Amino acid sequence: MICAELREHLAAYAQGTLAPADAAALEEHLTGCAACSALLEQLEPPTEGASALAKSIEPDTDLWPGIEARLTPFRGTRVTLPSWALAAAAVVLIALSSAVTALLLRPRPAPTVAVAPAVTVSPLEAQYATAASELSAELARARTRLSPATLAVIEKNLAVIDSALAESRRALAGDPGNAVLERLVIATWQQKMDFLRRATALGES
Amino acid sequence: MRRLLLGLGLIAAPLAAQQKLDRRIAIASDASIRITNLTGATRVLGWDRDSIAVSGSAPATAGFFMGGSGRMAKLGLEPEEGGKDVNSSYLDVRVPRHARVWVRSAAGAIDVQALQGEVDLVSVGGTIRVTGSMRVVTAESIDGDIEVVGPMPLVRVKTGSGRILLRQPTGDVMATTVTGPIVVTEGQAQGARLETVSGAVSYGGTIDRHGTLNIQTHSGDVELLLPSLLGAEFDLQSTSATVTAAIPAKTDQVRKGKQLFFANAGGGAQVVVRSFKGKISVYGQ
Repeated sequence: MICAELREHLAAYAQGTLAPADAAALEEHLTGCAACSALLEQLEPPTEGASALAKSIEPDTDLWPGIEARLTPFRGTRVTLPSWALAAAAVVLIALSSAVTALLLRPRPAPTVAVAPAVTVSPLEAQYATAASELSAELARARTRLSPATLAVIEKNLAVIDSALAESRRALAGDPGNAVLERLVIATWQQKMDFLRRATALGES
Repeated sequence: MRRLLLGLGLIAAPLAAQQKLDRRIAIASDASIRITNLTGATRVLGWDRDSIAVSGSAPATAGFFMGGSGRMAKLGLEPEEGGKDVNSSYLDVRVPRHARVWVRSAAGAIDVQALQGEVDLVSVGGTIRVTGSMRVVTAESIDGDIEVVGPMPLVRVKTGSGRILLRQPTGDVMATTVTGPIVVTEGQAQGARLETVSGAVSYGGTIDRHGTLNIQTHSGDVELLLPSLLGAEFDLQSTSATVTAAIPAKTDQVRKGKQLFFANAGGGAQVVVRSFKGKISVYGQ
């Protein structure tokens, strides 16, 4: 039973993305379980030969629209909601993500949260917003295990990210379809997710 | 005389409250070693012996633990009850050079030297410093500075408001901050990805002949100091700030809106910089 549970984490562990607490539990288990260790060896990336591989392969055409389409499961035949409804839902989620982060992390009266403007939002961004909300809630649960000083630093960094997000989204609203701006917005979301993930892991460890 | 004794007593009191640590165990040369020292400083040194040796000091009330055999070992200090003094303890840990080392701290500094295996380091607020030629370096912080010095095939470092300094990186490098600056000196990276929200980015050195340098900021300025004859294709864009390139040998400069493209000395490597409102400057040396 414990093997089955821990094996679900092996892939994330091999890629180095598993939370430290889970990684610690898994490593302890691996010392006494030859079967799981063997499975891990099959999963571990071949770092030795990686340097011999090409560093990048430039596509002939811009692949981003295709990738975006694949990342967005709500497109195509599955879409049952009109686009305005998706956009509205996304705006609500983004606002919620920023607000939840600020409110849950800050026991003091919350300042005005920089809520992103209501522009056309891609479903991809809505997914980031949902994930960020979940991570913010996770961080809020872990906050009792973090020192006030650490919480203050986390809060400050999240405020910087939210401010950058709001600013680049405002620019996108004024120049819809600008691919560079879209990517900057998505990159800032990724920064936020990554930072939330790290902060949450600190609270759990 | 009474005053002298009282003075000596005051000096001796903190010393008496400390315990000296001196322990060692045998371990495999490629063992995984987990070290925890939440509030104190930790130094890890690689050596050519199949054993772990720990020395240092810690408050008398802090519980030191150390155990393991074969390919796994754990050691560290249990946090003191209510004790949060930074640098109240110090661990000097010698480990086999090819060991895989994992260190966790909340506020203490971590210094790792002369290892050749993998290291995974986390300190919430303490400085992390890595020197040597490790196979893989992963270091994360929220507020602490991270410094990695030496040629290493794979470096992944992340901090929030701390500063990242990478010296002589040669392989694949990924560095991320929120507000802290990222500085690369004597770079020879094969692939570097540097991302920050508001920190400044400075890359000095060269890039592998077929390497990539990818930089992204929201508001941080970007400054590249590269060889004038570096064979590279440049693609630089800042949505609302200036983009300038002062490489003497540059050719085929094309400005398209706020984007600047050019190939230098025939291309080969790739340099891509994107910023929302950070200034982008490229200089030749």
